[in-house]
Amino acid sequence: MAMAALRREGRRVLLSTPSPAAAMAARSPAASHQEIAPLGARSISTQIVRTRMKSVRNIQKITKAMKMVAASKLRAVQIRTENSRGLWQPFTALLGDAPSVDVKKNVIVAITSDKGLCGGINSTSVKVSKALHKLTAGPEKENKYVILGEKGKVQLIRDSKNDIEMTISEIQKNPINYTQIAVLADDILKNVEYDALRVVFNKFQSVISFKPTMTTILSPEVMENQSESGKVGDLDSYEIEGGETKSEILQNLTEFQFSCVMYNAALENACSELGARMSAMDSSSRNAGDMLDRLTLTYNRTRQASITTELTEIISGASALEG
Amino acid sequence: MSATTAAVPFWRAAGMTYIGYSNVCAALVRRCLKEPYKSEAASREKVHFSITKWTDGKQEKPIVRTDDE
Repeated sequence: MAMAALRREGRRVLLSTPSPAAAMAARSPAASHQEIAPLGARSISTQIVRTRMKSVRNIQKITKAMKMVAASKLRAVQIRTENSRGLWQPFTALLGDAPSVDVKKNVIVAITSDKGLCGGINSTSVKVSKALHKLTAGPEKENKYVILGEKGKVQLIRDSKNDIEMTISEIQKNPINYTQIAVLADDILKNVEYDALRVVFNKFQSVISFKPTMTTILSPEVMENQSESGKVGDLDSYEIEGGETKSEILQNLTEFQFSCVMYNAALENACSELGARMSAMDSSSRNAGDMLDRLTLTYNRTRQASITTELTEIISGASALEG
Repeated sequence: MSATTAAVPFWRAAGMTYIGYSNVCAALVRRCLKEPYKSEAASREKVHFSITKWTDGKQEKPIVRTDDE
């Protein structure tokens, strides 16, 4: 296989000659049919291969740098992410998670990243959101999207722009902190009508593995119904201090739960993004290296061949004179 | 009962959510810190994002929520 590739590379180089027409061909694809060497041309130009090698080398440098940046950022974010898991776990223990609850107004909060070049994490998020949208759809139901991040927005605009309620971007300008996410969650709660919020994000498992995850947050009313029918949580087994009623407490709790889940989800997704970018950049620098090796081999071979040809010509010319 | 119990109906009536209320409280606590902890905590309350509302498949003008001057 490698030989075949080499031969292909070699042929491409052999066909490009130092004539002005070929130089044009290298620049404009329209003229690329003029690949046949003009009469009298002997040596082979390696200019094009050299330029190609240079550009591949530059790209490799860039991807390597991006990988390093992602790796160094990842460590800090990973620690924060792992710490933030402690925020939502008590809520799940207290209120439970009820992904199967069937309600009228579903709001799908899809968390994606602002930047690309990070493998498939954004499309995973979007795919899961779309599936969820289809799954919860039905007559007399209203499903809306709230999208975090540019990349998810771009993908969802294509076929479901009528269902988008709100998009949010630039959350990663500063390192993600709770205050920021809380303000964001506050904005979402105030501006979106919902019976259930379904947060979709990539949960960080390890540098190479991310699990698309959904967390459901119910509105206080739905939550109350559900807890009365005994489907979620056992808030009744706790003693409540103060004069607040159960519904007030549930409202406060669900709101706080939403901000905590959002905080964790944003961090998990940021962490996954960095991990995915790291592995994507790693493989692309490796690919660039492979390509460079192949090109170097072809280049050297061609050079060698042209030198040999010239030498043979000189020697045979000289011996012809002598003889 | 404590002051918080008495305060609940008021911030609810003012249209605040629990998140908004707890954020105000957290900001107050942070302001009570002494240096160097104060500036350290201040770095944790930077808010910056842009939010865009959509109506009928069209996006409206984005609103940038930020506190950096």
